[in-house]
Amino acid sequence: MTDILARRTLRQAALPEAIEAVHTELDELWDDASFVPDMDRMTFATAVIEAASNVVQHAVPESTKPVELGVDISVTSIRLEARVSAFDAACPDPIDTDAAMPDGEAESGRGLALIRALVTTVTFKRQDGTNTWILSKSPLHD
Amino acid sequence: MDLSYKVKDSYAEISAAGRLNMVSAPKLREMVADIVASGSSRIVINLEETAFMDSSGLGALIGCLKAARQAGGDLRIAAVQPQVQMVLGLTSMDKVLTSYPSAAEAFGDD
Repeated sequence: MTDILARRTLRQAALPEAIEAVHTELDELWDDASFVPDMDRMTFATAVIEAASNVVQHAVPESTKPVELGVDISVTSIRLEARVSAFDAACPDPIDTDAAMPDGEAESGRGLALIRALVTTVTFKRQDGTNTWILSKSPLHD
Repeated sequence: MDLSYKVKDSYAEISAAGRLNMVSAPKLREMVADIVASGSSRIVINLEETAFMDSSGLGALIGCLKAARQAGGDLRIAAVQPQVQMVLGLTSMDKVLTSYPSAAEAFGDD
């Protein structure tokens, strides 16, 4: 198994302020993983923020407990991975992972299509009341 | 994100410094609505200091473009940085939102 060279985790209430906290974690992650090329940083960070924003905007509580956003990002020499979770969230409606990019003057609906364009794989998992989107990007650019 | 604007001779220029995301996008929409309501519908958004934009920010730009056009004007963007250019390109919105090298050039042709 390839060693994890840098890692950042975050878990807090799924509120808009959490998005700024994810940006900060990403900036600090790159300080610890300076070998990651700028292009990979830019594409991966954009995908992670899209996924985290999706949780904040759309996750619905499963009970009276508010939803929490979790982000766990790890870096190996060949791969970037982010697990973006909605804790205590209801199961989302079936997701059309092949949804095309909306065109023209649509003001929303581009998030998932953008994530797919930015990373290598996107998978979704639901377990114990937690929805998790796993984004990976590999191999890294030279 | 720090948002500010100044009304010039033939257009209004908004400066957007920081991250245009789900937190700041509603503030940009409000600012453009206020500018249009005050009578300026030719608007350029200077993105020189916008280091990051997500799909919420992009949605706000499109909404602002529609608001300006509905008022008989236009909305243009200037000094686009690499991450914003990437998002515009991947979503093909670079064909909808006209980009100029600088804010001064955005309405320089008309």
